[in-house]
Amino acid sequence: MAALLPVGTKKGLFLVRANGSGWKVEGPLLPGWLVYHAIVDPRDGTLYAATNNPFYGATVHRSSDLGKTWERAEEIGLPEDSGLKLNATWHIEPGRDSELWLGGDPGVLFRSDDGGLTWDVNRGLLEHPTREKWQPGAGGMCCHSIQLVNGTMYIAISAAGAFRSDDGGESWQPINKDVAADFHPEKYPEVGQCVHKLLVHPGKPDRLWQQNHCGVYRSDDRGDNWERLDENGLPSGFGFGLALDPDDPDVAYVIPEESQEFHYTAGGRLGVYRTDDGGASWTLAGKGLPERAWAAVLREGCSFDGSAVYFGTQSGSVWTAPQGGASWTEAVRDLPPILSVEAADV
Amino acid sequence: MPVVHLPATLAAEAGGQKHFELEATTVGEALRQLPMANLFFDEQGELRRLINVYVDGVDARGGRLLEEPLSESSEVRVVGAVAGGS
Repeated sequence: MAALLPVGTKKGLFLVRANGSGWKVEGPLLPGWLVYHAIVDPRDGTLYAATNNPFYGATVHRSSDLGKTWERAEEIGLPEDSGLKLNATWHIEPGRDSELWLGGDPGVLFRSDDGGLTWDVNRGLLEHPTREKWQPGAGGMCCHSIQLVNGTMYIAISAAGAFRSDDGGESWQPINKDVAADFHPEKYPEVGQCVHKLLVHPGKPDRLWQQNHCGVYRSDDRGDNWERLDENGLPSGFGFGLALDPDDPDVAYVIPEESQEFHYTAGGRLGVYRTDDGGASWTLAGKGLPERAWAAVLREGCSFDGSAVYFGTQSGSVWTAPQGGASWTEAVRDLPPILSVEAADV
Repeated sequence: MPVVHLPATLAAEAGGQKHFELEATTVGEALRQLPMANLFFDEQGELRRLINVYVDGVDARGGRLLEEPLSESSEVRVVGAVAGGS
């Protein structure tokens, strides 16, 4: 099990720590801020939080002492010539060397080389030739998934689709072939797909998974082609949470929701579904989870490491299960609505 | 000197300090001196829409806002707009 779970909520950040056979909760830290995502940077142990406030805007906080003291980014914003303003910060991802990446709304990406104090907007994405075809989803036009592997970057934006960069973020190629956009006039447009979460398998970097507004998909060629998988036994193709097993690229976990209209667990049951054959079939891995629950798990609400899978619900519970999903334990309950869960070893 | 009073979330950005005495002749001059000044303004330098500023109990949005003059005894309160419910 992870030693520490930074849990972002609508009412601040909570640190959920392994404590013997149980878990201990510290927080709220950063009260007053909606914490869309928080990580512990494995390179130096710095705790970063993508923080948003309806009055004071979108920013990033960092702490070098695991939340005892905080610093805030000096400036994060969009250039005047873009005609855009930053609406929210969504996801923080460590990159190569000292790089730190930040995804935000409206479909923007920033890079920091000074540990998150200052941020430069990524022009390749800001000025992407397809930007006028993008549109916001229910959570805004958020750049929520950032993956870096072997010099290649992947991002996903709701609802612009998934993009790949092979030149360090200078240019971005849409990778949405055969990914449905049922809400779009064209069912399979070049861009405009509503990706809810995109992950690259850490041990098999050509393999990508995505939970989309319109299905669950896997790619084995860096996103050039996608195979739809939710029709192989999931109760719904709609959902947000996605987790993998770093030791087995054929394993994935999703938490289906009823539909795009009803954002609660499919069939009124909090069900995690697992595949161990690359999505050819899915099995309910629900032991220990409530059979009657109208919970919801947001796109940053799932995490995993080599030993376990974790997710947090909008009803304030954090659930954990060993890899395999044999049995779930409610680690914490009665937190504020959970926006994000990450696993950290500190 | 004018005094600026801050709500808890902003005070936390300054180590918990809720009140600042500042040498300033306008609201804008006072706000820009505060350690969390970049939370008041968006990237175009505009005061964020849901931040209200009261000078001696009077809403500065009804006056000259950032250009609203301050006296030596002015009390400036920064207040988030009433937009609750979540």
